[in-house]
Amino acid sequence: MIRAFDISVRLAGRQVLHGISFDAAPGAMTAIVGPNGSGKTTTLKAISGELTPSAGKVTINGRDLAGLKPWELALQRGVLPQSMVISFPFTVREIVRLGLMANSGEASAHDRIADEALEAVDLAGFSGRFYQELSGGEQQRVQLARVLCQISAPVAGGEPRYLLLDEPVSSLDIRHQLTIMRLARQFCAEGGGVIAVMHDLNLTSMFADQIIMMKAGRIRARGAPKDVLTDETMEAVFGCRMRVSVAPAHDIPFVLPQSAAI
Amino acid sequence: MSPSKAMGNGVMESPMRKPAFAARVVRDWRSGDRAGLARCLIVVLTLLAVATFMTSITTGAADASLANILRWLTGEADQAMSARDRIIILDIRLPRAVLGMLVGASLAVSGVVMQGLFRNPLADPGLVGVSSGASLGAVLLIVLGDVAFGPLFAVLGFYALPFGAFLGGLATTLLLYRIATRGGQTSVATMLLAGIALGALAGAVTGVLVFIADDKQLRDLTFWGLGSLAGANWTKIAAAGPIILVSLAVVPFLARGLNAITLGEAAAYHMGIPVQRLKNIAVFSVAGATGASVAVSGGIGFVGIVVPHLLRLVIGPDHRYLLPASALLGGTLLIFADMLARTIVSPAELPIGIITAFVGAPFFLWVLLRGRSNIGL
Repeated sequence: MIRAFDISVRLAGRQVLHGISFDAAPGAMTAIVGPNGSGKTTTLKAISGELTPSAGKVTINGRDLAGLKPWELALQRGVLPQSMVISFPFTVREIVRLGLMANSGEASAHDRIADEALEAVDLAGFSGRFYQELSGGEQQRVQLARVLCQISAPVAGGEPRYLLLDEPVSSLDIRHQLTIMRLARQFCAEGGGVIAVMHDLNLTSMFADQIIMMKAGRIRARGAPKDVLTDETMEAVFGCRMRVSVAPAHDIPFVLPQSAAI
Repeated sequence: MSPSKAMGNGVMESPMRKPAFAARVVRDWRSGDRAGLARCLIVVLTLLAVATFMTSITTGAADASLANILRWLTGEADQAMSARDRIIILDIRLPRAVLGMLVGASLAVSGVVMQGLFRNPLADPGLVGVSSGASLGAVLLIVLGDVAFGPLFAVLGFYALPFGAFLGGLATTLLLYRIATRGGQTSVATMLLAGIALGALAGAVTGVLVFIADDKQLRDLTFWGLGSLAGANWTKIAAAGPIILVSLAVVPFLARGLNAITLGEAAAYHMGIPVQRLKNIAVFSVAGATGASVAVSGGIGFVGIVVPHLLRLVIGPDHRYLLPASALLGGTLLIFADMLARTIVSPAELPIGIITAFVGAPFFLWVLLRGRSNIGL
C-alpha cells in the first residue's frame, strides 16, 4: 500500500499541494486526473520521493519514504516521467538495460528481462535502434520498458511493488494506448499497484479502479469511476458544462477504447 | 609428439573459436549491445598506448633506439647506450611521455565526467572556464604565495601548485553548476555562456596578478604557463601524479551513476542513484584531474571534447567502457601530439596546445553543426 497522509508541497514559495491524503492499494489501478496545473504531477513526485513535502508524509508498504535510501526505494517502485531528452547516442537496448542496474543476477537473465520488457511494450526488434531516432511515442514506450526492467516482478519478497506513471499514454496511438493500459492492468492483477496521471477520461474510466480528481492542489473527488465521473464534477473541476455517458448526434462518428475487440 | 599434438589442437580449434567470439560481438552489436565491441576496443587502445609510449621515448634528435634501450635494460651490453643517451631517455623523454599519458588521460576523463554530469557532449573543463579557474588558482599561489600563503607552501611543498589549481578548478566547477542547474535541470546555453563569463573573469584576475608580479615570479609564470609538456620532469610528476591518479581511480565508481544521470537527475534518483553524492564526487574528481593537469602543463584544449565524442560514436555512451577507453586514447593522443610538437619544427618546438587546437577546434564545430538537434541547444 502507498499512503499519502495530508501532504502539502511548496514550490518556489507558492503552495502547490494543500493536504492531499489517499491510499493506493496493491492489486488496484489508481488514476489521478484533473485540469492542467492542478497538481497531478507534483503529487506523483511527492509519492515517488523526488519532492519532499513541506508537511505530511508518504509511506510505501508501511515504511516512511523519508527514511528510505534511493536504492531501497528503487527496489519497491519504478517511475515513468513525462518525457526526457537524451543527448547521448544510446541504443534502445542500452536504455532499457539501465533499468536493471538495481538488480543483481546474471547477464543472461538480464538479456531475457530486457527482451521481455521490449516485447511487452510492442517494441520487439527495436533493441538495436538509436533512441534519438525514434518517434515520441516509441521513446515513451522504451522508457516504460526500462521501468518494467527495474520492477520486473509485481511482487518481490512477499511485498507488492508499484509503478508510478506520469501520463503513460500521452503520445501513443490508440492501439498502443490500449497495449500499455492492459499491461498496467495485468501488473495489478498479478499483485502490484499502479498510480497513473491520466488525461484521457475514457481510458481512465475503462481501466482505473480508483480515480483521484484534483483541482488547484486539492482532491475534489475520489472513488470508483462511476462515482467520480459525473456531470457535477465535470463542471466543478474542469469548468466544462458537459454530460457524462451521452452519445453524440448520429451523424458524428465517435470511437471509444471500450469498443476495442483485441 | 606432444608439441605437434598441441599445435594440431590449436589449428583445429582456432577456426571454430575465433569466429564464434567475433560473431557474438557482431550479433550483440546488431541487437544494440556494444559491450563486447567496447571491450575489444579497450584491448586495442591499450596496445596502441603502449606502442605510442615506446615510440615516443625512442623518437627525437638523439639516437637512442628501442633495441639499444632493451639491451641496456637487460644488462646485455652496458656500452650500448652512452651516458648522454641514458640521461636523454630517463630524465627527458621518459618523464615527458609519462606526464603526457597522465595529463592526456585526465583531460579526457575530466571531459567524460563533466559531459555526463551536465548531460551534454559539449561540456569540457577547458571550454567552460574550469581550466581558467585552475590557472587562476595556480597563478594566485605563485604571485601571492609568499605573502598570503606562506604556511600553505610550508605544509604542501611542491604539491602547493597543483593544490592551488585544484581549488581554483573546484570553485569554478561548483559555481558553474550552481548557475547552470535549476531544480535538477541543466540549461546548456546558460552553462556555456556562464562558462565563458567565468573563464573571462578568471583570465582578467590572472592578468592583474601577472601585472603586479615581480621579475622572479614572472619567470616562474612563464615557465609554468607554456601550455606544453616541454618542462616535464620527475618533480612535476611527483607533484601532480598523485592527485591525477586518485581522481582517475575514483571515477570508475561513478560509471553506473553517470549512465543513469544521462536520463536526468530525477530519473537517476528513481533508479536508485544517490544523485547528490554522485554529483559531489564527480565535481571533486573533475576539479582534481583538471587542476593537477593545468598545474603541470598549462591549458591544453579540446582533448576533453574530441576523445570522448569519437569514442561515443563507436562504443556508445556507457561510462563503464567510455571512461577507461577515453583515458587510454587521451593519453595516447597527447603523447602523439607532443611527438609532432617536438619534431615538425625540430630543433625548435611548437606548444602542444597549438596542435590540439588545430585538430580540436574544427572538430568541435563539426560536432555543433552535425548534432544541433541532439545536444539541446
